[in-house]
Amino acid sequence: MAVIANRHGEFLDRGGRVFGVSADTPEMNAAIVDKLALPFPILSDADREKAITPLGFADEKHPDNIARTGSLIVSPAGEVVFTYLGRDYADRPQEEVLLHALGALDLPPTSQEPPEIGAIEPGPRAVPLPGIGPYFRGAKFATLALRSRYRDLGDVFADDTKQYVEMVERYLAALPGVEARRA
Amino acid sequence: MAIDFTVSDAAGKPWTLSDHLDSAAVLTFHRGDF
Repeated sequence: MAVIANRHGEFLDRGGRVFGVSADTPEMNAAIVDKLALPFPILSDADREKAITPLGFADEKHPDNIARTGSLIVSPAGEVVFTYLGRDYADRPQEEVLLHALGALDLPPTSQEPPEIGAIEPGPRAVPLPGIGPYFRGAKFATLALRSRYRDLGDVFADDTKQYVEMVERYLAALPGVEARRA
Repeated sequence: MAIDFTVSDAAGKPWTLSDHLDSAAVLTFHRGDF
């Protein structure tokens, strides 16, 4: 989310407004919007029955009430013109891919009002902002260690871990933008 | 309309996709509780 937030203007320039969706409560989403100073809303589908499950983003393999990561682009005509369904919560689409798909619609630029938030109540596993950098650095180096340890597993594992490390690096690089929006 | 749904925004207010399609909508699904 932090990466998309930093590039929010590029989405608007291509005629797309951004809306996050999760199975969290509105109060938990308000906490994330506030923590990351997001310029777009996060929507709550707490029972996963309104959008997450019907659109195929429920993570049925996971015991908790979470969504699989991924993205949909819906055209002004209401047609789904792009879908990326992550294999699990660590598999996310690259922003460049989303921007390319959005640009193909050839829409005029748009704007988006800052999100309205209500009561803030972080979830039990929420990572405070100062902890996000160490959290992702730990994930990065653990992934690199496993990549080295299991280099004999072949190209699929090597490519997957490389992709994950690149995603983590993009998130780490986005953190100064979060701080700038909060300042 | 290929899809439509109503969920809640971070203020607890109803949010319906079809009310927001004067532009394209980029819906990003997140694990949550982060």
